[in-house]
Amino acid sequence: MTQPSSPADSGQLSVELTDIWKTFPGVVANAGVGLAVRRRSIHALLGENGAGKSTLMNILAGVYHPDSGEVKIHGLSHQFRNPADALSAGVGMVHQEFRLIPSFSVAENIVLGSAPSIINNRQVENDVADMARKYGLKVDPAQPLWQLSMGERQKVEILKVLWRDAQVLILDEPTTVLTPSEVDELGEILRRMADDGRSIIFISHKLHEVSGICDEATVLRQGETVAGSLDMATTAQDELARLMVGAAPAIAARPAAATPGKPLLELQNLSAIGDRGVNAFSDVSFRIHAGEIVGIAGVAGNGQRELADVIAGLRLSNNGTLIMDGTDITAVSAHRRFQSGLAYIPEDRLGVGLAPRLSITDNAILRVYRQQRRGPFIVAEKALSYCADLVKRFGVRSGDPDGPIAALSGGNLQRLLVGRELDGKPSVVVASQPTRGLDVQGVKAIQDLLLDQRNSGAAVMMISEDLDELLTLTDRLLVMEGGVIRGEFDPRTVSRHEVGMAMLSDTQPSSQS
Amino acid sequence: MKRPRLSLREQPLPGGQPLAFGTGLAIALFVGTLLLLGAGHDPLRIYSRMFDASLGDPDAWAITLNRAVPLGLAGLAVAIAGSMGLWNIGAEGQIMAGAIGAAWVARIGGDWPGLVLITMMLVAAIGGGGILALGPAVARAKLGVNEIITTLMLNEVAIRLVQWLIHGPWKDPDSFNFPLAPMLPDQARLPTLFSRAHFGLLIAAAVIIIASVAVRYTAWGYELRIAGSSESTARYSGISLPKKVLTVLVLSGAVAGLAGGVELAGTADRLTETISNGFGFAGIIVAALALMRPSGVAAVALLFGAVQIGGQSIQTLGVSSSVSTILQAFVLFGAIGAGVFSRYRVTLDSGPASTPEEAKS
Repeated sequence: MTQPSSPADSGQLSVELTDIWKTFPGVVANAGVGLAVRRRSIHALLGENGAGKSTLMNILAGVYHPDSGEVKIHGLSHQFRNPADALSAGVGMVHQEFRLIPSFSVAENIVLGSAPSIINNRQVENDVADMARKYGLKVDPAQPLWQLSMGERQKVEILKVLWRDAQVLILDEPTTVLTPSEVDELGEILRRMADDGRSIIFISHKLHEVSGICDEATVLRQGETVAGSLDMATTAQDELARLMVGAAPAIAARPAAATPGKPLLELQNLSAIGDRGVNAFSDVSFRIHAGEIVGIAGVAGNGQRELADVIAGLRLSNNGTLIMDGTDITAVSAHRRFQSGLAYIPEDRLGVGLAPRLSITDNAILRVYRQQRRGPFIVAEKALSYCADLVKRFGVRSGDPDGPIAALSGGNLQRLLVGRELDGKPSVVVASQPTRGLDVQGVKAIQDLLLDQRNSGAAVMMISEDLDELLTLTDRLLVMEGGVIRGEFDPRTVSRHEVGMAMLSDTQPSSQS
Repeated sequence: MKRPRLSLREQPLPGGQPLAFGTGLAIALFVGTLLLLGAGHDPLRIYSRMFDASLGDPDAWAITLNRAVPLGLAGLAVAIAGSMGLWNIGAEGQIMAGAIGAAWVARIGGDWPGLVLITMMLVAAIGGGGILALGPAVARAKLGVNEIITTLMLNEVAIRLVQWLIHGPWKDPDSFNFPLAPMLPDQARLPTLFSRAHFGLLIAAAVIIIASVAVRYTAWGYELRIAGSSESTARYSGISLPKKVLTVLVLSGAVAGLAGGVELAGTADRLTETISNGFGFAGIIVAALALMRPSGVAAVALLFGAVQIGGQSIQTLGVSSSVSTILQAFVLFGAIGAGVFSRYRVTLDSGPASTPEEAKS
């Protein structure tokens, strides 16, 4: 699409990415993306999840190889084989997951991998302290890493990249682990680094932070550049939001609305603790009726995954009540919930929904093997014929039923998983990112299966990051942000823009993600 | 410039593991040749002696099979735990615990009929190994304590217990003050099948077959494999993980204990400090080479036994026992190394054309 044009007043460009293509099996992550970053500037890379931001930056940082396209750093063309190549050309990335060693000191973490064979601790600590002081990064080089907060660890990651003398720093969603005051501090630090002649690429989807910190912005959507090098000073926030979530939606032929029946799933003030030890979501209440698909929209990491886990019984809630078809199931085990008609299509297909090292047959019978027993044995013929039936009915393209499940493509994995879960005629279906990463036919097949469920009277809850999908498929739309339901919309009448703003709302900026 | 790269095969090469084992053996023989030549020996003579002593005639086969029995049972013990992703590093101690249990029964039941006595000894051996594994099993199942550490540490406890018994309460009064337990009564010895091959061979074969069938074809084994593939998937499908961990680790210990009982009644004839003879640790290697599949341990144990017996035999030719140990190590290295290639393919990657910038750096 639009290629970024370098601004007229631009100084030297530090990064030029031209027509970058990158395809993963079944997914085009980058389709001819362009990006131009000026020296001495902080450049925001905006886009929804799945827009291709991280892929593009992993290409720039040497983690991925582009299928085609050109990477230029300071005017020179490069083809990075690995992150070390990128670093030696001056490109360093601070990833979302920190790569630090808890038992090492700050200084040791910083020099790790680039240290001379003999380390003079005192010398290294002094050097690190000098560098930290120069950019206003307040860390104690001698402190062991495990004592540091997430915000401080991020500073260590930034110092690590600076230590390797990166001229271009990529920060992947750096504010998700920070408190609001830390975000302001980060802005100042980045400004000092830019003034020192470096360029910073700031990946984000939180608009208000970006406008305070960044000079320019490039917006990606569905693997393409929709706007390049916008001047942040003159671009309105809702213009950016519109660019990120897309223009007025062309609503596809919506399936006929079913008449909802009695409530089958009801959440009353439900809360749960996330893996980081803070509330992943709190005080969530809603109902899903028979014959209804309710969509949960939101940027990943705002409590949706935990919500699905709690409903499925794989995570404990610490407050509130969960009612299924009139029965309180808050304290009922995951297996019992399944038996009483709750199907769960988890986000992590191969790690939760399927057993990656076992065969296709073994995975197909996961929900029914208890009924296929004769004495202690599982009757092999029953297992095989069940698997063959599932494969046939749900259009799974598979070879040997005794072959490993991991050899199937993403779409076929998901067909098998969804088919297996829906085979028990569930009354409630919870689907978490059911179409993510699938190719067009796969997406269509899964969506049709979920619609069939709705039409046959099940209550369906669908979590997705794809707003288009939710707007075309669901009967009601809830937006989750910061672990809270921010609003309920009628997808037939709501504008994409309205939902987009609710998804990105920062009325209560949260320190968790 | 072309540089080799490893990339994961979508499916492992069929028959990759036997192939890997053969390759490992070939590498070991080649390196061994150099080693023997360097030490001034005639490799051909050494190798033919090794073969004759381990697989050359029925008597040699009997000795090798007797060695393969504890190796196979210990390997099975490790593999059962490994099927679920657990590491039982304590088979060495559990073998000793099993031997203690069997020796204790032999002491109190010296006048029982042979069949009853041997049966009770083996039951006690199973119990001994299981009891030693019970602590780590409970700690892992209830508290999530890493079973590698706990099972490993209990090895030390078991060896001290054996030492205390044979230096103290169980010392043979007729041993001229040597730290030896008394010989087993005759009816406590396992009968022989042919030559010196004892009945333990059938016991081990039966246990390995039962375990292989159980893991592959029963609902219990299915749940075990699900849990070994992904704990989250097991929880998702309603499998009780703590219960599974507990039973599997205790069972693993029980199988290792049985190895101790069989070794005592079949080969050792009395409780000694060296009753476990490293079988528990070798069992880890056996299980690893069998890719943690119970059905694979028998073949691996047989080969491993042959290498051990062959290696010991050449000491009479003036070759140091270290040489045989080194040969074993190379078989292992070679097999594991070659095993990598059954799962990965090597491609020559014509790296991206380097820019002048890169050529400089």
